[in-house]
Amino acid sequence: MGNRSIVLLALVLVALAALAVPGESQSPIKIGVIEPLSGPVAASGNYVRMGAEIARDWLNAKGGIGGRKVDLLIEDNKSDPKEAASAAEKLIVRDKVPAIMGAWGSSMTLAAMPKLEEYGVPMVVETSSAASITKRGNQWIFRISPPSEMEALGLEQYVDKLGVKRVDFLAVNTDWGRGSITAFGDMLKKKGAAVGVAEYMEQSATDMNAQLTKIKATGGDTLFLTTAVEQITLVMKQAQEQRLTRKVVTTGGSSSPTQLIKQAGAAAEGSYHIVFFMPWFPEAMPDGKLAKAFVDEWAKRGHPFEGLTEGFRGHDGIATIAEAIRVAGKDDPKAVREALWNVSLMGVNGPIKFEKDGPAGKESGQSKPSIFVVQIRDGKVALPDFLAKK
Amino acid sequence: MAELLQHLLNGLVLGGTYALLGIGLTLIFGLMNVVNFAHGEFYTLGAYVSFAALALAGIDFFAALLVAIVAGAALGWLCEITLLRPLRNESIDTTMLVMIGVWIAMQNAELLGWGGVAKSIPHPFPTAPLVFGPVAIAPVRLFALVLAAGLIAASWLTIQKTKLGRAMRATFQDRDTAALMGVGIGRIHAATFAFGSGLAAAAGALLGPIFLVYPSMGDLASLKAFSVVILGGLGNLPGATLGGLLLGIAEELGAGYISSGYRDAVGFVIIILVLLFRPSGLFARQERIA
Amino acid sequence: MTRAGGFFLAVGALTLPLWLQSPYHVHVAIMAGIFGVLAMSLNLLLGYTGQLSLGHAAFFGIGAYTSALLTLKLDWSFWPALAAAVALAGAAGLFIGRLALKLRGAYFVLVTISFAGVVSLVSINWIELTNGPLGLPGVPAPELGPWSLRTKTAYYYLVLAAVALSYVVCRRLVRSRIGRALVALRENEPLAESVGVDVTHYLVLATVVSAAMAGLGGSLYAHYTRFVSPEVFLFTYTVTMVIMVVAGGKGTLAGPLVGAVLFTVLPEALRAAASWQWQMLAYGLLLVLLVFFLPRGIVPRLAAAFPGRR
Repeated sequence: MGNRSIVLLALVLVALAALAVPGESQSPIKIGVIEPLSGPVAASGNYVRMGAEIARDWLNAKGGIGGRKVDLLIEDNKSDPKEAASAAEKLIVRDKVPAIMGAWGSSMTLAAMPKLEEYGVPMVVETSSAASITKRGNQWIFRISPPSEMEALGLEQYVDKLGVKRVDFLAVNTDWGRGSITAFGDMLKKKGAAVGVAEYMEQSATDMNAQLTKIKATGGDTLFLTTAVEQITLVMKQAQEQRLTRKVVTTGGSSSPTQLIKQAGAAAEGSYHIVFFMPWFPEAMPDGKLAKAFVDEWAKRGHPFEGLTEGFRGHDGIATIAEAIRVAGKDDPKAVREALWNVSLMGVNGPIKFEKDGPAGKESGQSKPSIFVVQIRDGKVALPDFLAKK
Repeated sequence: MAELLQHLLNGLVLGGTYALLGIGLTLIFGLMNVVNFAHGEFYTLGAYVSFAALALAGIDFFAALLVAIVAGAALGWLCEITLLRPLRNESIDTTMLVMIGVWIAMQNAELLGWGGVAKSIPHPFPTAPLVFGPVAIAPVRLFALVLAAGLIAASWLTIQKTKLGRAMRATFQDRDTAALMGVGIGRIHAATFAFGSGLAAAAGALLGPIFLVYPSMGDLASLKAFSVVILGGLGNLPGATLGGLLLGIAEELGAGYISSGYRDAVGFVIIILVLLFRPSGLFARQERIA
Repeated sequence: MTRAGGFFLAVGALTLPLWLQSPYHVHVAIMAGIFGVLAMSLNLLLGYTGQLSLGHAAFFGIGAYTSALLTLKLDWSFWPALAAAVALAGAAGLFIGRLALKLRGAYFVLVTISFAGVVSLVSINWIELTNGPLGLPGVPAPELGPWSLRTKTAYYYLVLAAVALSYVVCRRLVRSRIGRALVALRENEPLAESVGVDVTHYLVLATVVSAAMAGLGGSLYAHYTRFVSPEVFLFTYTVTMVIMVVAGGKGTLAGPLVGAVLFTVLPEALRAAASWQWQMLAYGLLLVLLVFFLPRGIVPRLAAAFPGRR
């Protein structure tokens, strides 16, 4: 047999052998984490991971849970639902984790959900915004991030102060973007505003000039923007080039205003942002001390400041799971699920407590996170002008 | 009417960037017959090198552009002699597969090295847009368009007028005869791949300041480049240029007047229609590629 | 492959769930089987006619969506839905085949890419039909008479049957007159035409069968993962199929299967062996190495090492 083929055969055998090694099950408490660590949204997935690692280290510094160390088993879902499902299977079956946090994007979470039911393991959803996740009657899902409807409700009180009369939407063409348009559109119509056009952009698109030209022609006064920070940067720069002058409100919490200031500069001036964490004013968060400690620890590790608006989700997700394991007294999946219904803890975002959501008898858990609005003024992040004017 | 003009201008700028991506690939795919899925990665490399030179080493913007082109060409040359040359006699699918491997490896190496967070490349142009009547364009985009046109023209001149260009054309038309006439085949292959990769890197360095720099930015670029190359006729530089411009304008008008959700679909449908009626692309002469 | 070897392989495949340690391994085996069907379908085009379809994920996705929609929205049972998926994917193949009548090489590739692009965008934007980016969760599991094929073991056997069926179809096709015509098309089209082989007719036929088989893979995928979203049209699925066919050995019957097993197991093995930062980088490098050492693919190399009975 040729030398080269032997090399290849060896590679194959090593691969198979690695697969055949059984997963370990010793003393540490293992928590599974599924995030997009490669692919187009790798930045966000990594921020969540960094937040999770801070939570783990804080737990272990305090002696772990019930004296046992906490171990995070981190899997990459490569921004692909099929991989999210495979990762869940591997974590549950091979590594025997009692709980998982994940999977960032709504379609990835939805793809992993059948596995949770198949094996009976709970998952804490930290970012996904699709309403259907908690409405499908999956009793192993517990979400701490707000669905778009909840987010829209959070903004309702400010709509009059913002002075929104004619609104246009520009959103990324995913479940998140579309769900946002529906939710905010309904809320705004109820408040008497007129909805103009709803335009979309592909997730990887870099040129939104066509959409902006159309929006410019409607004569509206406000633009609601839902996408990740990179695309927001591009939209703002291109809007500036087209001399589009109107109020901009970004939704979804992924706008990372600090990064926007750095990369969009003057183009971002005056824009409003719905966020779920205000790292610029940690004392204003429900638990000011915890928030400040988180911001400081993040900086100590050299992580970029702009990642804080997403990184806290990782912390809160792990903290929730850890608390449930503590309440349950053991790291058994079914016990953890029971305990999740009984936990009440303080996360970086605010209080976390699950309420029933979805069809009767098969409810999922949904917490009511805190929602904040900030504004970019004079090149800095500040409380919105309509609030500060009190 | 103002709206239409703005759409056309947007389309022209977009198309110019597609054209720049296309001409590099038309040399590699059209002449060397290599299905280079890693073409977009050289584009990304150009952007990251430019970023590194500017933001980290503090070099001047135009010098950084040059550094990016050289880096792209150098890596392309290296790729050709280490990976493609030994596989030169294998089928086109084999070289395609090896370039897929390079694509995956390069993108994930960048992810590992730079992280997934997008970087922005600082540029010396003012941010206020230039206004020409009813339409507006940012200075940095105008610069990119002008430079792209310059690079395209320079490439065409190189291929048509210089000794290197003649040697390249000879090699890919009839390798054996060219070899008999004393052309160093190996060197020409490496030079062609380096040339195409350098152009891709230039596109990345030019577009980086306009958009943002992140590891997966090359994927869409590769796809558009392939469309432009085939549309314009393989190995046909003017064809790739015109094809790029047409695709950009068509996409822009489609997004503006039909639907932004189906924006890319307009481009695809146009491609299908063109190939239905002109199976060798818009500008190629008679033959089909076997 | 010898008779005895084939027999042992069959026995091994049939009893696989019994000696695999965990459901996770059976999961990997099921995915390998589904991709085996997909790889074999692509091989019909790429390996035997020499035409590359870079939009093959479109047929896969059409099969998946058809099957999912019929069972979810119209309450069809699995088996007719499967048949419809195969038929619809095949029809799409017919459409492409006829569209691309005069196109070869790079132009055929571009048409397939464009078609896949359009179908992908339709699945994202035609919300009323496909539910758009939210996808279709809760696709039901198949049933065979009174038994539900929900369990992994049962599904494994379903997939195994599909793999066997696809293999047999490929083999019969390749060894028949049609197969010879396809090879003639691949090797020297003008010559084939000159001796009266209706090349275009056979190319269209190959495209239809190839697409239908990919549709079969799509339906199997939809009912196993129980969730279909526009990501099934992602280019990476097509790239994965191409890797499996070419690395396994295009133009051979066993090549795509070997490629499918290897490249389904490899990413999962890397998941276990390397931390997440290195997995994809290692995958890319391993691929480059593989192509370098085995440029014609695995099966042809093995066949050369063990000459004798084919």
